[in-house]
Amino acid sequence: MQQINRVTGVVFLCLFSAFSAQAATPALVIYTYDSFTSEWGPGPQVKKAFEQQCGCTVEMTGLEDGVSILNRLKLEGNNTRADIVLGIDTNLTAEARATGLFEAHGMSLDNSALPGPWDDSIFLPFDYGYFAFVYNQESLKNPPNSLKQLVEDPGGPTILIQDPRTSTPGLGLLLWVKKIYGERASEAWAKLSDRIVTVSKGWSEAYGLFLKGEADMVLSYTTSPAYHIIAEQDRRFAAAKFSEGHYQQIEVAGLVKSSQQKELGRKFLAFMLSDRFQSIIPTTNWMYPATLAVSKLPQDFNALIDPSPALLFDDKSVSRGRKLWVNEWLDTMAK
Amino acid sequence: MRSAYLVPAILAVLVLAPMWGLLSLGQLPGFEPQDLQFWQSAYIRRVVFFSLWQALLSTLFSVAPAILVARAFALNGEFPFRSLLLRIFGLPLVVPSVVAVMGIVSVYGSDGWIPLGRSLYGINGILLAHVFFNLPLAVRLLLPLWQGIPRHHWALAGQMGFSGWHRWRHLEWPALREGLPGVLLLVFMLCLTSFAVVLTLGGGPKSTTLEVAIYQSLRFDFDPVQAVILALLQLSLCVLVAVVLLKLQKLPEVEITISSAAGESGKYRSRLNRVVILVAGIYVGMPLVSLLIDALSGPLAQVVANRYLWQSAGKTLMLGLGAAVLSVMAGWFLLGASSRLANRGRLKQARLIELCGSIIYVVPPLVIGTGIFVLLSDYIDVFAWVYAIVIIVNAMMGLPFVIRTLGPAMRKNQMQYRYLCHSLALDGWNRFRYVDWPLLRRPIGLSAALVAALAMGDLGVIALFGTPETATLPLLIYQQLGAYLIPQATATALILLGLCLLVFWVLERCIGGKANA
Repeated sequence: MQQINRVTGVVFLCLFSAFSAQAATPALVIYTYDSFTSEWGPGPQVKKAFEQQCGCTVEMTGLEDGVSILNRLKLEGNNTRADIVLGIDTNLTAEARATGLFEAHGMSLDNSALPGPWDDSIFLPFDYGYFAFVYNQESLKNPPNSLKQLVEDPGGPTILIQDPRTSTPGLGLLLWVKKIYGERASEAWAKLSDRIVTVSKGWSEAYGLFLKGEADMVLSYTTSPAYHIIAEQDRRFAAAKFSEGHYQQIEVAGLVKSSQQKELGRKFLAFMLSDRFQSIIPTTNWMYPATLAVSKLPQDFNALIDPSPALLFDDKSVSRGRKLWVNEWLDTMAK
Repeated sequence: MRSAYLVPAILAVLVLAPMWGLLSLGQLPGFEPQDLQFWQSAYIRRVVFFSLWQALLSTLFSVAPAILVARAFALNGEFPFRSLLLRIFGLPLVVPSVVAVMGIVSVYGSDGWIPLGRSLYGINGILLAHVFFNLPLAVRLLLPLWQGIPRHHWALAGQMGFSGWHRWRHLEWPALREGLPGVLLLVFMLCLTSFAVVLTLGGGPKSTTLEVAIYQSLRFDFDPVQAVILALLQLSLCVLVAVVLLKLQKLPEVEITISSAAGESGKYRSRLNRVVILVAGIYVGMPLVSLLIDALSGPLAQVVANRYLWQSAGKTLMLGLGAAVLSVMAGWFLLGASSRLANRGRLKQARLIELCGSIIYVVPPLVIGTGIFVLLSDYIDVFAWVYAIVIIVNAMMGLPFVIRTLGPAMRKNQMQYRYLCHSLALDGWNRFRYVDWPLLRRPIGLSAALVAALAMGDLGVIALFGTPETATLPLLIYQQLGAYLIPQATATALILLGLCLLVFWVLERCIGGKANA
């Protein structure tokens, strides 16, 4: 037995030493989400472009999503390695601000392309989008033209949505319905629930099921058809324009207070607002860049619906109401 | 004998320390403890009820047919592609849940081969998916029980002119009774902790499992205390089920015999058994075939030509094999300790040790991972250790599989040969080399293959720590899906399955030996 024990010990040692790779070079560490850093996301291009002008290395860590980024930061507190956090959205900024882990950016957002004013002293937006129901124009001839029509027409189209507990678009729809229906949101969900084919954990499952033909419409973004047009030359898909307006998602970045590289961090934030970064966004993140002039967008983005008016709760209301509203939704939907 | 408690002690530390780490977060400034009455709420009651109900139903629908299928395999010793089919039965374990959902929908969705329409979403979809995942696994775990029936028992049954029923009653059922409760427990745990599949195919939040609630409280609400309480609730439910199941277990008397096992059973082939195998093969094969068709009609060449893909594949392979090695070693010591205790008449302790290893699967990786992170991040750079942590956590999750596959064989071995070894003064390495290894390499090969598959398909642990430059294949699949690249994701999934099949083949062949079926 002793010999086996010795062998085990050696194997353990090998395992441990083999994987404790070193990364000691000074670098700008960015916490972001995983689809940002993926080969198809903006990450690789952003890294390359910024490294060319900063004389530094950019190290990106991709976490599951915005919620994971914030939770990671909460766990690490002031010991975090992150210099920049990029990819939380305005539903999370109130909570993020409350952690006290971020530092004011001290910049102005001069050439904002956002539909509304921006007066956040901690976070700067890098892109934004609108939630929308996407459908196939060949199979759904008369899409609803308002959220009210979608909710209240019992013979309306079937839909696929995501769970607000686990997914950003899912939470977006919850807030969208809340914005339009207010106190009567539960009634709206009760009316809609018969036509919800399923509620998936994440966007990928719902979108995948939609492309397999499982429902007439799927909750996604107004910019989703742009992917099919630009990357696949497929013009069948469109987002339904709702007359009440579309709920907005604004993705932001912030400078971490405990960072040792604040100068570099501020340079990155300035770079983030420059055309070089902003022009990478549309065809990699499939969102609207936050400061790029409309004329510089890829042409096919012009074919997308005009989602105005943009609907948005301020971050404090979301932070206060989120849990209550999700429980309300659960009570209605779980019946 | 103190070493007997070493592995369970390590396990306990690995489970409890992270939980303690999470609980300590309750004292962080800015953390508001939630209402601790939550676990009495109607929501949690509903979630607990649903989790148990769907898990029990899924277990029943998976294991009951699996007995028939395993029996059919056991009694049909030879037919074309038998061993390939059995290896394919190891595949569903590695399929990432989102890919499995797509496969199930390709077959049973509204545009599928067997369209079930809207009725797919609900308990039907959950059962279809869980049976797809667990029936083949149960077959793999049950099949060795037939192979363990000694040859001369079959010969005797033949001489006495046993009918099929009598053979079942007097040969097969007693052999089955030893392993069945453990298999039921394992499948129950896999179904209990199912998450994305249940949510997506279950049709909505009425199909919420405890695992979803744990994920919700740790991520969405960032309430570690609630997450730990829910995790402990899940663990205790599982202990309860385990205790009930193990009461049903009846360990057969092991006789000291020199008669070799297996071999004889293969003579009793019948047409009905072939039909059973065919039906099971079609059921498991359909979602896989639909995946194959989707992948082949997509940009497979483009995906294969990608350098990153092969880096990811290498990383996936490393994590899978690392977890397999570690898990089999841990399982070996745990089972060894348990069987030594049993030999000395301390059955209760023996069972307790085995139980520890068996139920570890239900501790959510999210809880363990986050807890490890909380505990270690002050002392080490967790990022630099991410692969070691992922391997350790996956090895822990794989332990129940090792115990199921290796446990019965090891117990039998210990009972049969301990006197012999004792009188020959065979001990330690020599005993392992001349007695244990030749007899146990087959179950060792199977358990290594199963754990490798489980770890290669893992998403939870690695996603938690964040991805450095190269992702593992399951993560790559999710990244591709997130970037609208569904055909590419399907192709990557096919490569993951291919890699898994290869690993299964190599491990079963190299470790298990050539005579392996």
